[in-house]
Amino acid sequence: MTSPLVSIRGLEKRFDLSGSLLEQITFEGGRFRRKQEAVHAINGVDLEVQKGEALCVVGESGCGKSTVARTVMGLLSPSAGEIHYDGQRIDNLERKDSLPYRRKMQMIFQNPYASLNPRMTIQQTLEEPIRFHHPDWSQVQVRDKIHEVMHSVGIDPDWGSRFGHEFSGGQRQRIAIARALAVDPEFIVADEPISALDVSIQAQVLNLLMDAQESHGLTYLFITHDLAVVEHFGTRVAVMYLGRVCELADTRTLFSAPRHPYTQALLSAIPKLEDDRPNHIRLKGEVPTPVNLPSGCVFHGRCPYANERCRQEVPQLITTDGGIQVACHAVEEGRL
Amino acid sequence: MALLEVKDLDVRFAVRGGDLTALRGISFTLDKGERLGLVGESGAGKSVAAFSILNLIAKPGYIAGGQILFEGRDLAAMSERELRKIRGNRIAMIFQDPMMTLNPVLTIGTQMVEAILAHRKISKKEARAIALDRLQKVQIPSPEKRLDQYPHELSGGMRQRVIIAIALLLDPEIIIADEPTTALDVTIQAEIMDLLLNLCEQENVALMLITHDLGVVSQVTQRMLVMYSGRIIEQGPTREIINDAQHPYTQGLINALPQMGEPGERLFQIPGSMPSLKNVPSGCPFHPRCKFATEQCKQAMPEYVRSGNVNVACYEVANLIEQEKRMQEAES
Repeated sequence: MTSPLVSIRGLEKRFDLSGSLLEQITFEGGRFRRKQEAVHAINGVDLEVQKGEALCVVGESGCGKSTVARTVMGLLSPSAGEIHYDGQRIDNLERKDSLPYRRKMQMIFQNPYASLNPRMTIQQTLEEPIRFHHPDWSQVQVRDKIHEVMHSVGIDPDWGSRFGHEFSGGQRQRIAIARALAVDPEFIVADEPISALDVSIQAQVLNLLMDAQESHGLTYLFITHDLAVVEHFGTRVAVMYLGRVCELADTRTLFSAPRHPYTQALLSAIPKLEDDRPNHIRLKGEVPTPVNLPSGCVFHGRCPYANERCRQEVPQLITTDGGIQVACHAVEEGRL
Repeated sequence: MALLEVKDLDVRFAVRGGDLTALRGISFTLDKGERLGLVGESGAGKSVAAFSILNLIAKPGYIAGGQILFEGRDLAAMSERELRKIRGNRIAMIFQDPMMTLNPVLTIGTQMVEAILAHRKISKKEARAIALDRLQKVQIPSPEKRLDQYPHELSGGMRQRVIIAIALLLDPEIIIADEPTTALDVTIQAEIMDLLLNLCEQENVALMLITHDLGVVSQVTQRMLVMYSGRIIEQGPTREIINDAQHPYTQGLINALPQMGEPGERLFQIPGSMPSLKNVPSGCPFHPRCKFATEQCKQAMPEYVRSGNVNVACYEVANLIEQEKRMQEAES
């Protein structure tokens, strides 16, 4: 087996909530105590992205999927764990050494209304990353490159002098994709790239992303909450819940035979066109806060199959016969 | 007689340089206990349609023509005083974002009691009992406790349950729900939709569900309207439209869904995007994006034609029906 393009090892990310030292000190029972609180956004995630694939990370809000995306890109530094790109550890590099990786890795954000600078023309928006990463390029080279990427995303190159607000949401997302493609990346992290768009525009952008994958030989880490998109787009899927991966499998395998109780509930919740009446697996309660993580399996409070072991012991990802990796005691013990 | 009948409704926005037409010739009915879906992309006018039923469109918007008959009385011609007796009482609304609809500085109980007392002459204690009953109906855990909590103490799904409880307070005839689950996660969305569906069935309340999600519409509603650029382009039984859409736009919308494509293959896509109100194309507003468009489509808006139980506004569909008829005549 070839080595993965990107590998995430034992990744953890905590966001401190307690503020400065003075804010942490409380007076309790006659003595001062120091109290620290943190949001545990990611709690030990291991993922490998193979060259040429589209690895989708799905989960509901607060599961840490966007934090994974941002940590991989180096926009956030991990609290623990490592990120490797093509065999090289990249999360602890000096700024200068990280530059080549920043060109190879590009990101597309959810909201194209926020990710384009409103004071820059499209020409300037696209020119900036090219000039930054290729300072030796001539004016003509830069212009040709801009023409090429604008053309490839279906935006008329003559519109370069317009500003972001003159475009529709779908067009803006095309421009954001053009900006990512402008520096010939190998790896693209897309964080909910079509969630803010209308149905007919979603199809356009999804097609564009697939075309770009083919023509540029791209590898995707695709973050989304929309399972229908995953089924269509993903090579493999990782399902996250409260900062942990609970199931990882080939898209087809996962959708035909999900093993983890959370994945099963998630899949049954998608409204399908053919059903006359909804028939969902109902979960108890709601997602607990990532500030006070439940002990043992993070899903045990809502799981219909939870037992004493689930409340005590954190399940590890195990590989089942079907090739699915799943973190669940019930599956491991054959109860499910 | 239908419970609600909207006839030829026109809504315009008065802006500098003339009026913008947000809704044009909207006509539909809603029967008692029926569930109707309003589908369309952003800018189609589905929210304006919902808001205009209760005359809630803010200036510079206004109802420029048509009637909104609720139990035979025209809501569009009613005074504000009379309308207030209907809003929240006979026709309730559920909005997209529960955090925006709930008052952050009042407890859930206070807000619910206030809504009841605005319409009923009963004691506070009796009103609180009604509030508690409705919270139980929406299956909120420990409802007694919730009455004294503030909105920020509840999760998103819980807040939307409170909103549904408030909508049910005065036993309305109609609930208009504008994207009630769009702000929620998939599993929570599924629960809330189940709840809304079951309650409407139990209490025989008519539901008008506005959404962009065809999956939700197909699961919840009996009939649906598809809107495009301020017009209804197709309406009829939900199952019939989902299984066999007639209008090229509806067909495109359904075929563009990722679940309709083969995994890994390109999806069907409608070129272009919804026109803005400032430059609505002539004739059929969909013609610049339509692969069947002819010269006729650019000239005038097509009339509705009937295909099965579905009404469609499209020349292409009309021509097909005409052809079929001629062929049948030729055979016999």
